[in-house]
Amino acid sequence: MYKKCLITAFEELKADYFVLMIEDSALAQVSEPGQFFNLSCSDGDIPRLKKPISIYDVDGSEIAFMIKKVGKGTEYLSKLKVGDSIDVLGPLGNPFPLVSGKSVLMVSGGVGYPPLVYLKKKLEDCEVISIHGGRSYDDIFLCDYPFTEDGSYGRKGLVTAHLEKIIKKHKIEVIYTCGPDSMMKAIGRKALELNIDCYLSLEEYMACGIGACYGCAVKVKADNEQGYIYKRVCKDGPVFEVKELWMEDK
Amino acid sequence: MNERLKTRLGRLELANPVTVASGTFSYDYADYVDFNRLGAIVTKTITKEARGGNPTPRLFETEAGLLNSIGLQNPGLDKFIKEELPKYNQWKAPLLVSLSGSSIEEFCEIVARMDEEDCAGYEINVSCPNVKNEGIAFGVDPKVVFELTSKLRKHTERELIIKLSPNVTDIVSVAKAAKEGGADSLALINTLLGMAIDWKTGKSRIARGVGGYSGIAIKPVALSNVWRVAKAVDIPILAMGGISNYQDALEFFYAGASVVAVGTENFMNPLATIELIEKLDMHLESQNISLKDIIGKVKGVIL
Repeated sequence: MYKKCLITAFEELKADYFVLMIEDSALAQVSEPGQFFNLSCSDGDIPRLKKPISIYDVDGSEIAFMIKKVGKGTEYLSKLKVGDSIDVLGPLGNPFPLVSGKSVLMVSGGVGYPPLVYLKKKLEDCEVISIHGGRSYDDIFLCDYPFTEDGSYGRKGLVTAHLEKIIKKHKIEVIYTCGPDSMMKAIGRKALELNIDCYLSLEEYMACGIGACYGCAVKVKADNEQGYIYKRVCKDGPVFEVKELWMEDK
Repeated sequence: MNERLKTRLGRLELANPVTVASGTFSYDYADYVDFNRLGAIVTKTITKEARGGNPTPRLFETEAGLLNSIGLQNPGLDKFIKEELPKYNQWKAPLLVSLSGSSIEEFCEIVARMDEEDCAGYEINVSCPNVKNEGIAFGVDPKVVFELTSKLRKHTERELIIKLSPNVTDIVSVAKAAKEGGADSLALINTLLGMAIDWKTGKSRIARGVGGYSGIAIKPVALSNVWRVAKAVDIPILAMGGISNYQDALEFFYAGASVVAVGTENFMNPLATIELIEKLDMHLESQNISLKDIIGKVKGVIL
C-alpha cells in the first residue's frame, strides 16, 4: 500500500536514535516482523529516494520505527513532529519465519536492533536470548549480552566473540540476525558450522523497493556455472536463510 | 479518457501520451498503479538468454539523480514469454517489449519469436551503458543502426522503436539512420554515463565504476536531444530523461515528443505516471488545447 500517514508519536532515544510512530490500522494489521516500509524522506530536495526502514513494533493501529540519524534522509525523518504526515510504501518484503517452542538467539548490531524487537514480541513459547553490539554505549539497547567495540559498556569487542559459548550454554536451536553485513556473515558461518537454522535480514541500496528495478541484488546459491544468481533483497528478502546465501565478504 | 490526450506513436494510437521508461517499472507496480490508465507499458529489457546482472552495489542516488548499473538482469526470452508476458497482457494498454541482443541476428531472432506472441511493438535497446558488447555497441554507429533497423523491419509489422543513447557524438545522425532503416519511432534518451566516489574512503559507489545516470539532472540534456532529433527526423519521439511531472512533460511536448516516459520518478513516487496523466489533462483543459496543438511548437528559438 502507498499512503500518507499521520505521525502520532515521536521519541528521542539516546544519541542519534529516535522512534517514529505512524497510525494506520490497515497497514498495522498486515505488518509482520522482518518486513519494512519505504519512508519518504524529502519535501522535494535530495535525497528523493525513499529509505527502507524495518518495523520496530506494531501496537494496535500504530506502527513504530526505530531509526538512527546517519545521513540526510534520516536527518529529515528526525525533524518530523507529531501531527506531520509522511508518505509510506509498504509493508514490503518477506517476514521472518516464526518458530515456536524453541531456544532462540537474536544477534543484532547497531541499527539492526529494531526488527528483532518486534520479532521477539511475536515468538510464542520460545526462550529468547539476545546479543546486541555497537560502537559504544550510545549504540546499546536492552539485551542479555551487550558488546561495545570501545568497551564503554558491556563486554569489549564484537558480538561474534563469544557466540559459540552462548549458543552452547543456552542450547540455541534457531538464530535470527540483523546488522552489518560482515557481522551477519560471521554469525551465518558459525550457524552453518554448528548446523543451526539461521535467518539473516539483509540490507542493500534500494530504489523501487517492490521488485521492479533489480538494484538491491544479493548473491544466492544456484545450480549454474557460477554457483550463484542475484536475487532482490526487497522482494525475495530481506530475510534469507543462511543455507541459501552465497557467503562471501563484501 | 478524452480526445485531448490522444497521441500517435508511429503505428499506434495511444489513449494518452504517458508511459514508463524501460527498467524502472514492472507488473510489481500493479499493486499501486492501474495499468489500464497508462498510454502504453514498456517492459524491462529482455535478452535471448537469461542475464544475471552486474555485481553490487548497483545503485547510488547522487546530487540530482540516480546512478544505476543493473546490467540488464532478466530471465531470458523463453521464460519472459512463459511467465511474464501473460501478466502484462491482462491489461489493455499497448505493450512495448524492450529487447537487446549481442548480434544483429540475435536481435532479429528475438523479434521474430516475439512476433508469434501478443504485444504491440518493440523498443530496441541499442543504448544500455551497463553491458559489455551489447546494447551500446550497436547504438553509437549510424551504419550499424541502419543495418540493424532495416533487418528488424523485415521481421515485423508491429511498432518498431529504436532507443537512442546520448553518449554519442551526433545523436541526429543515429536517429536519421534508424528512420532510414524503417523505424516507426524513436525513444530517447537512455541514461548518461556517470560515476560517484565516496570521498572519505575513495571507494566507487557503483561496483562497475561507471553507471547510467538518470533523473532530474539529465532533463535539460534529454530535452535538447529530443528537440534536435525532432527537428531533423519526421517520425514520432518517445521521450524520457528526468520527467517527473506534467510540467516536465509539457516541456518535452513543446520540444517535439509525442509520448513521454516516467522513469526514475517511479521510485520516488509510485503514482507519478497517474498523477502526470491527470494533471496534464487538467492543464490542457484549462488552456482549451489538445496535445496535438503543442507537439514540436516550442517558441522563442532564434536560429
